[in-house]
Amino acid sequence: MPEKEKILTLILAGGKGERLYPLTRDRAKPSVPFGGIYRIIDFTLSNAINSGLRKIYVLIQYKSYSLQRHIREGWNIFSRELGEFIDVIPAQMRIGTDWYLGTADSVFQNIYFLNQEKPDLVLILSGDHIYKMDYRRMIEFHKQKNADLTISVFDVPVQEAKRFGVLEVNERQEVISFQEKPENPVHSPDNPDMCLISMGIYLFNTETLVRRIIEDAKKPDSSHDFGKDVIPAMIGKDRVFAFPFTDENRKETKYWKDIGTIEAYYEANMDLVSVEPVLNLYDTEWPIRTFQEQLPPVKTVFSLGERTGMVLDSIIGGGCIISGGKVYRSVLSPWVRINSYAEVSESILLDRVNVGRYCKIRRTIIDKNVVVPPGTIIGYDASEDKKRFVVSETGIVVVPKDYQW
Amino acid sequence: MKKILLIEDETNQRILCTETLEKEGYQVIAASNGEDGLNLLKNNDVNLVIVDIRMPKMSGLETLANILGQRKNLPVIIYTSYPQYKTDFMSWAADAYIIKSSTGLSELVAKVKELIGA
Repeated sequence: MPEKEKILTLILAGGKGERLYPLTRDRAKPSVPFGGIYRIIDFTLSNAINSGLRKIYVLIQYKSYSLQRHIREGWNIFSRELGEFIDVIPAQMRIGTDWYLGTADSVFQNIYFLNQEKPDLVLILSGDHIYKMDYRRMIEFHKQKNADLTISVFDVPVQEAKRFGVLEVNERQEVISFQEKPENPVHSPDNPDMCLISMGIYLFNTETLVRRIIEDAKKPDSSHDFGKDVIPAMIGKDRVFAFPFTDENRKETKYWKDIGTIEAYYEANMDLVSVEPVLNLYDTEWPIRTFQEQLPPVKTVFSLGERTGMVLDSIIGGGCIISGGKVYRSVLSPWVRINSYAEVSESILLDRVNVGRYCKIRRTIIDKNVVVPPGTIIGYDASEDKKRFVVSETGIVVVPKDYQW
Repeated sequence: MKKILLIEDETNQRILCTETLEKEGYQVIAASNGEDGLNLLKNNDVNLVIVDIRMPKMSGLETLANILGQRKNLPVIIYTSYPQYKTDFMSWAADAYIIKSSTGLSELVAKVKELIGA
């Protein structure tokens, strides 16, 4: 379907994800693996292509090697001949000598690319969130409202709203106030227990965007952030509207997750192994794509009493071999091997993890390439685990990438 | 006395602008390209910059980007013979865009006064 107007999509993928440490020790947050075969950014990229968007820049800076490789290997799917692209743009410091100071600065520093494309609209997305959304509905809304800026919003309980940008709207859905991480968030007009928060999805008229980020760039006391600086300065001056998130996941409750902490990461993965996951990865109407190498089929082997290769209530990537061990309620990325008499439950094992014989692993995230020596026990004694690993408040153990015993 | 940095590659224009602005009571330091201009900016307490666009080595727009990197809220005036760079988003970062014409120089002086006073 040809686009009526020219839309440029910018995905801000510089998120450090500090609270996801050590999963973000070697990679930016959008590059953190999720759901066996995906990376967090795959959801945003899939949404964009499912919405018919074909001009996409991914702005990166922090620990970006893994993300660059993933996009090169998995998302090189467009035809430049037709003016389509997914291009990764590293921070180039063409303006000044700083890394990106804030989200608005990351767009300002890439004003050259806006200038090259001269789009009518610029859709700004974050590479940090997991959700399914048809941006075309938002674009339609933006045009109907004749808006300068449209912000996609999501309802959260008042007590959770403090972590986000909170909006106040009038009956025409026009934004009348915007506060980033407020102490006392304004509740939504139709429900005193809920707040409208910004999902970090902004649709701008290009001219407004350029003028406002330039104004902001010239303010020495600004932190150069959309949520903290640019948008609050636009309220009352420009036509700013709130678009209620329409969820292509189509479940009873809307699904939008900021996988900000180890607990949130763990719970979102565990959702996928439940009988009726909230996040549906099997919907052919709204496919989520990723990079997948050619992989041999999953194999289970041995059915000899205690030495039985068995997987229950789990998702498993290609190339895994479950050789005489047991896996319950777990997410296994490609090339994982579970050896005889080992037992893995309620855990997330990333690519090429090898679990030795007689190991017992529970409520543990094991990052890539870790070879767990035979007989190792993790997830049963928090004080013992804390001596070696990061353990979350709820007791989730994280074994970092390439960890050596 | 207010100090103006003039970045202009063409000698006659540079002399003309400098003399005119000096007559108006400003101190003018001048550079004939963007790189020299940025060096002068580093070592001088400048109140305003006037920059040409078409220059060798570094264009005026690139120079403007660098000025923003160094001194965010420093007023900058683009002074050029070419109107077409108005559509370049980077030019919007300047406080004014004045075309060199028969009235250009007086417009320039008026804008300087407006931005930094006499």
